[in-house]
Amino acid sequence: MKRNALVFVGLVVAVLAMLASGKYLDRVRKHGPMKLAGNVQGAPAPDFTLVSLDGSKVTLSEFRGKAVLLNFWATWCPPCKVEMPWFAELQKQYASEGLVVLGVAMDDSQPDAIAKFASQMGVNYPVLLGTDKVSDDYGDVQFLPTTFYIGRDGAIVDKMTGLLERKDIENAVKKALATAYRPAVVRQIRARADVKSTAMKNVAAKDATR
Amino acid sequence: MRRTLAAFLLGGLMWSQNLGDKPPVIMAPVGNVQVRAGATKDVVLDFRVGSEFHINSHTPKSPLLIPTVLKLSPPEQVTVAEVKYPAGKDVSFAFSPDEKLNVYSGDFSIDAFIKAPAKAPAGSYAVKGELRFQACDRSVCYPPRSLPVQFQVTVAK
Repeated sequence: MKRNALVFVGLVVAVLAMLASGKYLDRVRKHGPMKLAGNVQGAPAPDFTLVSLDGSKVTLSEFRGKAVLLNFWATWCPPCKVEMPWFAELQKQYASEGLVVLGVAMDDSQPDAIAKFASQMGVNYPVLLGTDKVSDDYGDVQFLPTTFYIGRDGAIVDKMTGLLERKDIENAVKKALATAYRPAVVRQIRARADVKSTAMKNVAAKDATR
Repeated sequence: MRRTLAAFLLGGLMWSQNLGDKPPVIMAPVGNVQVRAGATKDVVLDFRVGSEFHINSHTPKSPLLIPTVLKLSPPEQVTVAEVKYPAGKDVSFAFSPDEKLNVYSGDFSIDAFIKAPAKAPAGSYAVKGELRFQACDRSVCYPPRSLPVQFQVTVAK
């Protein structure tokens, strides 16, 4: 009787594991493996190149060696408006220590309207036009505001969703600034990520041919 | 009324069972709408905004905010003569105490006036559409969403 119960539990666990792995591989097939999910602290920040409001292209990895505050926002998000002047102040205060603030507008509004809004908020940092891909790469950014704090080595130090107090934001900025930039370690992190990426792509390709 | 209450209770139960992905707005089912050819009928659509959410009214105070809009696509046998939205409530939130937003929260109803032309053939027709809205809670805003809307209209001679 006990044996039957154990077999049943084992079967249930096996089925659940198969369902979970199937769902994961399906996601890998559709989107590729280098997406953020779950606890993102310590994970390499997915690289991107986005167009800014002035028409220039901005690539995240160009800021390696600096701490980056990456804020996803939208003009239709009232809580986002509260944070923007704080980000502008922090940009001024910590720029000399190596802070870079980047805003990513997840907006359907025209760039002119976004630029006008950002100017009214006193934004003094680059505002980039968000895409579905960058949102997806950062774990499907649905809730705004969402801010990622990225260390000098390109690894994510913290992720905060929703409006927080200024002191919490400043503490996260300080944590990101306190990280060290060691190119050799960065290369190791990126190499590990690449190996994982290649392995997952192989699994996905094999799975797709079945 | 009982049906509406039951539908909301069922919706509420579903909400509590699926906390990770709660829809900010649900709609009570609409009974079969009877309208005579040549007449217009006020169809009341009842919606409920989840307790921790609010959505912009049809006339938010800023053009950048996304208004709540009901879009209906009736079949050719009937028309939508008018859609009447309720007035929103002016509310200021902790995230911006000096600013008032015009919002819907709790229960609200939209009146859709369905007209059957005099020559409309008798029969039962599905009116489909969607309620487009954008919800926020006290600290987070959610992307714009669309809630499917559907009801059946029976035209009698």
